[in-house]
Amino acid sequence: MSKIVAIAKKELKAYFKSPIAYIVLIITISIFNIFFFLIIDENREASLRDVFKVMEFLFIFIVPLLTMKIFAEEKSSGTMEFLMTTPTTNTAIVLGKYLGSLMFFTLIVAMTLSYYFIIEFFGQPDRLTILSGYLGVWLEGALFIAIGMLTSSWTKNQIIAAICSYVILFLLYFSVSFIKYFSSTAQVLIRYVGTWSHSENFIAGIITTSDAVYYLTGILICIMLTRLSIENRLWR
Amino acid sequence: MIITQNITKYFGGFQALKDVSFTINKGEIVGFLGQNGAGKTTLMRILTSYLPATSGEVIIGGKNVAKDSLAVRRKIGYLPETPPLYPNMTVKDYLLFAAQLKDVSPKQQRFQADKVLGECNLKDVRDKPIAVLSKGYKQRVGIAQAIINDPEVLILDEPTIGLDPVQIIQVRNLIKSLEYKRTVILSTHILSEIQQIAQRVLIIKSGEIIVDAGLKDLLSGKGSNLEEIFLKLHSVQED
Repeated sequence: MSKIVAIAKKELKAYFKSPIAYIVLIITISIFNIFFFLIIDENREASLRDVFKVMEFLFIFIVPLLTMKIFAEEKSSGTMEFLMTTPTTNTAIVLGKYLGSLMFFTLIVAMTLSYYFIIEFFGQPDRLTILSGYLGVWLEGALFIAIGMLTSSWTKNQIIAAICSYVILFLLYFSVSFIKYFSSTAQVLIRYVGTWSHSENFIAGIITTSDAVYYLTGILICIMLTRLSIENRLWR
Repeated sequence: MIITQNITKYFGGFQALKDVSFTINKGEIVGFLGQNGAGKTTLMRILTSYLPATSGEVIIGGKNVAKDSLAVRRKIGYLPETPPLYPNMTVKDYLLFAAQLKDVSPKQQRFQADKVLGECNLKDVRDKPIAVLSKGYKQRVGIAQAIINDPEVLILDEPTIGLDPVQIIQVRNLIKSLEYKRTVILSTHILSEIQQIAQRVLIIKSGEIIVDAGLKDLLSGKGSNLEEIFLKLHSVQED
């Protein structure tokens, strides 16, 4: 456990020692702020529903930038050889790295809590719906990070890692838009695998076990596949 | 201390190691010699459990590297060919991180970090980011992480590469000081270095061990210095 924390801390610190983290933080929060203003100005309601949808959409573009280096950088710089010859289990390495990135992502989400305070000040929002929306957005991001970490474990090249995760995230997010071209059985499957239907419920304030299971299973599968991928000796 | 039996390693169709067997006793300093691509790094990677052997067995300190890899890794300090460093970390933070991963007890971590900073002459750069250090310093940070957990076995892949003559002597003395306390395996291209540090030499050619002998025996038997012997062995084999 202490090694997981040590690796997570190292990952989190590494974000703040590279300019990418600050650029991502500033650009993300600026874009969120603009959309928050536009949406509140347009809707005139004390709800973050549409803000959450925009956040979720933008995470598709932001998360791969955060996750592309997780393993690819270690492999290209040779530090993977160091990590894997210390008495640290592969599970601890993967979990530590995942937690580090998740903490950075949580910080981005936490910075948007100001929106809640603003609408709370000017109106009477439904607190539980907002809480559920935040949970949904956070879980969605947590899944995206797990996917990004997995693709980063496939290659030494950060650009390839990012492109692979963009492809997977686009498929997961936009697959529902093309659902009418598929047979009814495939439609059910696509609806379940796609993130859209699950995040919609959270944002609407409906927390169901099946949606929570969807995200948690997805995260778990990606973590297990990442572990398998770093155990694979082919890339060494 | 280290027993390898019939190690073979294939990368696809290419055979990198052919039936390599040797035993190294506790406290020995053994030099791996060979040309580039001879299989030295592959052999070291198999000893450290980073790469699995295609066939054969490695036992270190009574533990099988393939089956009990974590226990073996606890006994080993390893400096890969490229020092595995995080450029954004300071030297001290990096060594503390290495200590945490290498099971140094929390109370001992700072003490051990200070100790290896002293042993590797790194005290004046302890708070500097690794990115700004010269190659020689980086190499010594790599050695410092390898010895931070007082490993029983030290495996150093080209430890003096990129160092200036003064630093080479410092590193050589550091390795020499570990004699009888730890088992040390090092690979190098610098033949005179092996001559000064090692007690025993394994010469590897195209994945095979062609010479396994004590340095004294080797030098008294075939020629006056290791360089002559090395060149002779390679040309003789190629004829």
